[in-house]
Amino acid sequence: MARVHDMWRLWLRQNWWMTAAIVALLAVGVLFIHSATHLRTDRTRFLDIQQIRWAMGGMAVYWAAMWLDYRRLRDAAWVLYGLVVALLVAVLLVGTKIYGARRWLMAFGMAVQPSELAKLAVIVALATWLAARGRDARPPSLWKAFALAALPMALILKEPDLGTTLVFVPITMAMLFTGGASWRPLLALIVAGALAVTALLSLVLLPEMLDMRPERQEALFHRIGLSHYQRDRIEVFLRPDSDPLGAGWNRRQSEIAIGSGGMWGRGYMQGRQNLLGFLPRTVSPTDFIFAVIAEETGFAGAAALLGLYVVLLGCGLMAALQAPDLMGRVLCVGITTLIFSHVFINVAMTGGLLPVTGIPLPLVSYGGTFLVSTLFTLGLVQSVHVRKAG
Amino acid sequence: MTETGRRVRLLLVTAALGLALTGLVVQLVHLHLWGKPEQRENVVQDRILHEPIRVHRGMIVDNSTPSMIVAIDWPCVDVCADPKLIQLTNRVPQVARELARILPELDALALEKRLRLPDRRFERVAQQVTTNVAAQLASLKLPGVFTTPVVVRRYPQGATLCHVLGYVNAEGVGSAGLEQSLESLLRGKPGEIVGFRDGRRHELTDRRIAETAATNGADVALTIDQQLQFMVERALDTVMERHHPDAAWAIVERVKTGEILAMACRPNYDPNNFRASTDLQRMNRAIANIYEPGSTFKVATIVAALDQGVVTPETPVDCENGRWWYQGKVLRDTHSYGVLSVADVLQKSSNIGAAKIAIVLGNAQLAAYLKALHFGHRLGIDLPGEEGGIVHPLAEWSSISSSRIAMGQGVAVTSLQMLGLICCIANGGAYMKPYVVRNVTADDGNKVRRENRPCVLANPIKAATAVMMREMLVRVTEPGGTGLRAAVPGYRVAGKTGTGQKVIGGNYSETDYMSSFVGFLPADKPEIGLIVVVDNPQPLHTGGMVAAPAFSEIAEQAMRYLDVPKSPPPLVMAGRP
Repeated sequence: MARVHDMWRLWLRQNWWMTAAIVALLAVGVLFIHSATHLRTDRTRFLDIQQIRWAMGGMAVYWAAMWLDYRRLRDAAWVLYGLVVALLVAVLLVGTKIYGARRWLMAFGMAVQPSELAKLAVIVALATWLAARGRDARPPSLWKAFALAALPMALILKEPDLGTTLVFVPITMAMLFTGGASWRPLLALIVAGALAVTALLSLVLLPEMLDMRPERQEALFHRIGLSHYQRDRIEVFLRPDSDPLGAGWNRRQSEIAIGSGGMWGRGYMQGRQNLLGFLPRTVSPTDFIFAVIAEETGFAGAAALLGLYVVLLGCGLMAALQAPDLMGRVLCVGITTLIFSHVFINVAMTGGLLPVTGIPLPLVSYGGTFLVSTLFTLGLVQSVHVRKAG
Repeated sequence: MTETGRRVRLLLVTAALGLALTGLVVQLVHLHLWGKPEQRENVVQDRILHEPIRVHRGMIVDNSTPSMIVAIDWPCVDVCADPKLIQLTNRVPQVARELARILPELDALALEKRLRLPDRRFERVAQQVTTNVAAQLASLKLPGVFTTPVVVRRYPQGATLCHVLGYVNAEGVGSAGLEQSLESLLRGKPGEIVGFRDGRRHELTDRRIAETAATNGADVALTIDQQLQFMVERALDTVMERHHPDAAWAIVERVKTGEILAMACRPNYDPNNFRASTDLQRMNRAIANIYEPGSTFKVATIVAALDQGVVTPETPVDCENGRWWYQGKVLRDTHSYGVLSVADVLQKSSNIGAAKIAIVLGNAQLAAYLKALHFGHRLGIDLPGEEGGIVHPLAEWSSISSSRIAMGQGVAVTSLQMLGLICCIANGGAYMKPYVVRNVTADDGNKVRRENRPCVLANPIKAATAVMMREMLVRVTEPGGTGLRAAVPGYRVAGKTGTGQKVIGGNYSETDYMSSFVGFLPADKPEIGLIVVVDNPQPLHTGGMVAAPAFSEIAEQAMRYLDVPKSPPPLVMAGRP
């Protein structure tokens, strides 16, 4: 009985703002998945119902994670990490290929994306590691921390899934920074990163500008390891009008969708870009759900949605600030950055600021694995919150 | 690291996140609120669909009962393929084999090669395939094989009547014959659907903005009778085979009305496959070929002289035993004759006799009659490409012009004009305007867009002259006449042979002739006029030997087909003491 009572008390201690924001975001997700798919006649007609099931299961996971003492993750961290690395290897070997990328593992009739679990595993592992380092006076070694993140990143990049790989960068940086790593190597890393991006972009653009023969360009890109579609997407991002009907289509159509929303939007279930199929049907309930929302509810709706994320992220950062120990703090920062990165990359991609990468909008986009794993990580934030001092 | 330091760092992280978020909001504001209105307009325009509604070109039918369709729009399909898609299924040989099985004109191996072209998304496999075959194809569900509907112009009777009908070019525009001259009526007006389309470019039918109905092309009914046409064509084929001419043509006209019942030329072509034809094949010689008519033109000379009253059929003319010097030039007859009556001049076709009649008539009178008889002018038949012929103005005539024109030299005519003259005589002097289109109707015949009624062009000769001339022309096909082979058992045939020397390099050729026979029957109650012209027959070349038999063949069949009562037997002076 006492145990149940304790659990009830912990449950009451949760950050209700955060839970409310989560529920609101889930509701928004279901509503607009419905809007994006209600005119369909095939299986995808019922994505909204499925999302409700996932959301309910996810909330259970969320509260379960809250009850779980995050400190106990220390013991599981390396097991989880090892498991995820094993899964990522497995995906490369036996994964299911969808749209040319091997990202999915079919298990028990469900499609699982190990890269989603990898984010969680890396965050937990990093938090554990940083917390252990934190007791030393010396700042934690940046290189070891990065090595920790680099292995899964490399495996995910191989799938290939550039977007997810890039998400690891801000997470690792933010965690290391809050975890007390020295300024200088971090700065050096940022500069190095910027240089790398510049180099990459020029590699994509220069050969053509220098009138290199197509075969030689092909060979060069092969050597660098940039796949065709990655190069296409970067090109489209840099020169959106070069191919408005091919690779630039999604981007152009989502920009049009946002633009046609105006201040107040076209009204729920009235988004023409969406209804008329200009936003491709495969992505409108998933990666491009923000375009649907922005078109139908306008700037007001988009801003309100971002407001909900601000509440969510704010709660995460509050939890970090008030965390009883370093592990909790770094964990919260990692998770908050994770959510933030997704929101940022997704919205920026929809709005034409970043190349199109398959990054969903947390809690809103359709997708089971991601929804449940996101809710689990948010549950961990609550787990830190409910155990704050006082 | 102190707790405060860590808190500061946390705040810095927060600030960084906040900054990034602000950037995002700025972009959203930019897109949402500062989106360019004209860009939005473009977006709307992108979604609007203008789709033409195809119209059917009107059909053309003949004048038989029940009427026969001679030109019609035929719905077909083009069979197309997406080679890339077929390659992805790894079934290229099977698909090629199946296609070649259903479409026997295709070669499976050649097709396979076409289907193996890399990165091709479209390949036209076969054109104008019937819908039956298309249904058969569809049932096979071959991957990457699809059909697009097309409409092709079909001429079910093949090459028959090709010069009258013409053809429709690849853009669907009539380019010869009636298809060309009636283009505006046949074509109709395409409608248009204006509506919204979705991302796959399909129309959203529930959001249609406007629909303009198509006006189908009007249907054309001809005066041509396909049965008669067929008889004429068959007779021309016989002529082509027997006499090896460069060309041959014939026209049948209803005397009372000017309706053209048949018009055919050789060489001809199949309008269903007009691309394979040459200009020479496509030429409608019946109205577009001008030639020196030769002896048939004596009809014009003599009818003018009779009408003017300067001669009667009995007036004697000295034919100078076949050689006559006039104005320093010699004029010859094929057979030499002494004194002939005007009627005999016509029957025997004496050049000297005709020349003398023309001289008696006088230049001015002859020229006036030629004009009244529509030589040198188009008759205005409703077909494109009609020629007017050549009659030099009176002022340019030399001292011997009339003597040469009298026998059909120094003038150029179309066979339609010669037929017009003979029909005018048959019709008691009323020159009927020839026409091939009976009417043009829209909406299944409920709305008449154009109608041709019999129309008298002129009355160039008196009725009495016509009757006189008719009797004289009958004698041509009777024993002693040049057109004996034009006779039709049971009917009295009036007509005239013609053997015009062709002008080759400025001189009259001794080997190339234009043989013709023009006439009408039954002579007492004329029903049809008929002209047969044979261009350069070899080795026989006279109108009486070449054109007259063809005339007879056509006329006999036509009489039977039109169910014309036979002429009364000639009066036998029975019981005379």
